[in-house]
Amino acid sequence: MMALRELSSLEKSLGLKNPNKYCTQGDKKVPVLHSNNGPSLVGLVTIATHLVQEAKRPELLGGSAEHKALVQQWLEYRLTKVDGCHKDDIKTILKDLNSYLEDKVYLAGNQFTLADTLMYYGIHHIIVDLAIQEKEKHMNVTRWFDHVQHYTGVRHHLPPVVVLRNRVYTSGHH
Amino acid sequence: MGFGDLKTPGGLKVLNDFLADKSYIEGWVPSQADVAVFDAIPSAPSTVQCHALRWYNHIKSFQNQKGSLPGVKKPLGQYGPSGVEDNTAADSKDDDDDMDLFGSDDEEDAEAERLKEERIAAYAAKKSKKPTLIAKSSILLDVKPWDDETDMAKLEECVRSISMDGLLWGQSKLVPVGYGIKKLQIGCVVEDDKVGTDQLEEQITAFEDYVQSMDVAAFNKI
Repeated sequence: MMALRELSSLEKSLGLKNPNKYCTQGDKKVPVLHSNNGPSLVGLVTIATHLVQEAKRPELLGGSAEHKALVQQWLEYRLTKVDGCHKDDIKTILKDLNSYLEDKVYLAGNQFTLADTLMYYGIHHIIVDLAIQEKEKHMNVTRWFDHVQHYTGVRHHLPPVVVLRNRVYTSGHH
Repeated sequence: MGFGDLKTPGGLKVLNDFLADKSYIEGWVPSQADVAVFDAIPSAPSTVQCHALRWYNHIKSFQNQKGSLPGVKKPLGQYGPSGVEDNTAADSKDDDDDMDLFGSDDEEDAEAERLKEERIAAYAAKKSKKPTLIAKSSILLDVKPWDDETDMAKLEECVRSISMDGLLWGQSKLVPVGYGIKKLQIGCVVEDDKVGTDQLEEQITAFEDYVQSMDVAAFNKI
């Protein structure tokens, strides 16, 4: 059901007026959007991309060709690595994101994109459970996460995660 | 507040630590605060100071929009961690009037420090409209109803009924968004320390009968 709540929050953050009715298929509960005229759309990223087009916010899918590719890369990462990951994979995910975000403010380019929204929804449950020490260790992920959750209109159904800096734990590198 | 002397590695280190968990100097969007600090740094931070470098490259990408970023440029002593003073010497290349406050005084002796602090205080007192500096922001909110039959007058009443310490409602107007639906665009002035957009959003969307969603259309620091 998480995917349906995400799509509903995404609709709100895009300012779409009429919320869609979704259903799910399969035991993985993949979301499906039926349409009156045309084929139904299956899959979180597919539907999310469609919603962004519907809301006429193409910039959320990336400005340049390079940024568009980066957005797709992170959307794919969300689906393949983050969703349904085992506890052991969490460390890898955090490490990947932390080193990627060391010199970046957003996941794709210098603007907020759908990649940031869906990654935020995707790792929220991981970040909520992180101890302060872990948050300090992956400072860049924590910084990016805190930024996105404060970004107007994205948070919606998710509770805010408190990020407090504790100088006892300094980040490992440099 | 302040970063020490931003023209020295020590000052850059303070900036680096400050930016480890922040994307911007102030708030969640690029603003004149970032421009003020960016202009004070002589060149890009080294890769050792990865957070400062990340922030520097990001702000650099906004060079064309420098003038239109929100907020007001304040003296460097107004930004950064508390407990650190600002000792950055004025940049002779900088045309910004604010920077002249520090004068061409490059010496760091105590006398010059005291004079600088006095001048900063006098300048801030002169420039601010209130005797005590309270950080305020002017926010423009878009409140969207469910459909074109929602009673917008009642919706506005509900929104205005929200009262919080540090919140002042301003003007409002109805803006058509298509299909006969109008959204309520209402402005408010909030004290940053007391009111956050999250709280406003929660309270406004609590009126579920009238309000479908709320967005921040504009957010300017005063």
